[in-house]
Amino acid sequence: MKYVYYPGCSSSGTSKECEESLQAAMRALGVEWTELEDWNCCGAAIATGVSYLLSVALPARNLALAERAESDLVTGCSRCFMNLIRAMHYTQRSASVREKVNTVLAETGVQYSGKARLRHLLDVVINDVGLDVVAERVTRPLEGLRVAPYYGCCQGMWTYAQFDSVEDPHCFDQLLATLGAEVVDYPLKTACCGGTLSMSRRAVGANLIGDLLAAAGDADCIVTACPLCMFNLNNFQKEAGGLKGTHFSIPVLFLTQVMGLAFGLPEKALGLQRNAVPVGGLYKRIAVAATASSGRASASGPEQEGD
Amino acid sequence: MGVQVDTREGPPTPGTLERTPFLRDLVGNSFSLCYQCGLCTGSCRSAYAMKYTPRQVMNLLQLGRADEAVASGSGLLCTACYSCTFRCPRGVAVTDVMAAVQRLSLAENHADPHIRRFYRAFMRTIERHGRFHEVEFLIRYYAANPLRLRGQFRVGLSLLAKGKVVLKPPKMESQKAIAAMFRKAAQIEGRP
Repeated sequence: MKYVYYPGCSSSGTSKECEESLQAAMRALGVEWTELEDWNCCGAAIATGVSYLLSVALPARNLALAERAESDLVTGCSRCFMNLIRAMHYTQRSASVREKVNTVLAETGVQYSGKARLRHLLDVVINDVGLDVVAERVTRPLEGLRVAPYYGCCQGMWTYAQFDSVEDPHCFDQLLATLGAEVVDYPLKTACCGGTLSMSRRAVGANLIGDLLAAAGDADCIVTACPLCMFNLNNFQKEAGGLKGTHFSIPVLFLTQVMGLAFGLPEKALGLQRNAVPVGGLYKRIAVAATASSGRASASGPEQEGD
Repeated sequence: MGVQVDTREGPPTPGTLERTPFLRDLVGNSFSLCYQCGLCTGSCRSAYAMKYTPRQVMNLLQLGRADEAVASGSGLLCTACYSCTFRCPRGVAVTDVMAAVQRLSLAENHADPHIRRFYRAFMRTIERHGRFHEVEFLIRYYAANPLRLRGQFRVGLSLLAKGKVVLKPPKMESQKAIAAMFRKAAQIEGRP
């Protein structure tokens, strides 16, 4: 499979750890891709508030570039994915939108015909690589780790509509279980984290974040599939705790960080030192458990299958 | 001002049970299909902070009272999570309608100036670099009111300490062409 990868703007800054771990984990799985050349911002959740046309044309330019590269476009950011798929469908649905978008795109010398194929990272991992291959790669199972998968909102919906139940998705659960983790179910797993409200309306944003942290509270960590959720859930635990009259200190990891942990990749390669809520304790626990169980395994013979 | 909410074309289409029913709505005025069940408001996590909830906004638009919806600034609390749009049994593109209301609130100065700066700073940064640059965004956002930065210190310091602050602006080849896209879009949409 030929892929071009769309990193999204936060990959080099506020969600560097997501990007580092994503690259490391995908390398470990043998997925190869090239970065989409000359990509631009997808408009995040902001462009729609200023210009309908730009909110479609900005992501459409990236789709047009992927079309030219004749490869599936992959992104690990749910917000980018959402904007890209929205642009895809809106240009397909309306000839007039398509025409206007292409008039705007002409300024950058590209045209979008609707042929590009868009894939979410989870889709690639589960459907192209396959959970059996993921399982083979696990050298440090996350045994005894209680993980709350946070699918995120729309992102979840638009993403999982492609291959999973939209209201009650399970693909993330399956992936985490494959890594050996104990998956914690909780009611808000597809509820929105408040997106940019944490920046523009702090009290509202922190309140929404607080609800999520409280709902997933008895897990050892939360795992997200979106860099913006990752940023929000990590960075505003203090404010959220203040609003809810409690103290939150729940490690929040990106999906590929957890994959990398189970694959036995080094801490640094996964950017674990960059997480706002420290994950050192968690890392040690997994590493120690893995050493102990590999000790057990070698004592009882390496060929033994699990029961 | 009447119910001139959006400029998008296409007839309203009722929702169906296809896998992604929310994708079918390109329609600006799809609020006319709303039968006020309130599933949108029930799905909305920020509705509690809105003067008019999504269901009420749809109702105001149906009643030709878009002015009130726009003046309330309620659209600005929409996080674009698309839960309402996905779930709407009538196939109303609620999120896009809320975004249209949001655009009008911003364009007609109904929003808190600080919120307007938030949107402007973001778009200006993209227009200049083609990609988002957090540092430039923050400077633009807080320039008029640096005292507000106090609330960001803790997070800012943490980001700095973790090596996640990039001072250098992003570079892409077609930077200038992106700015041209912005101009073209503004021209087509008749924005200043």
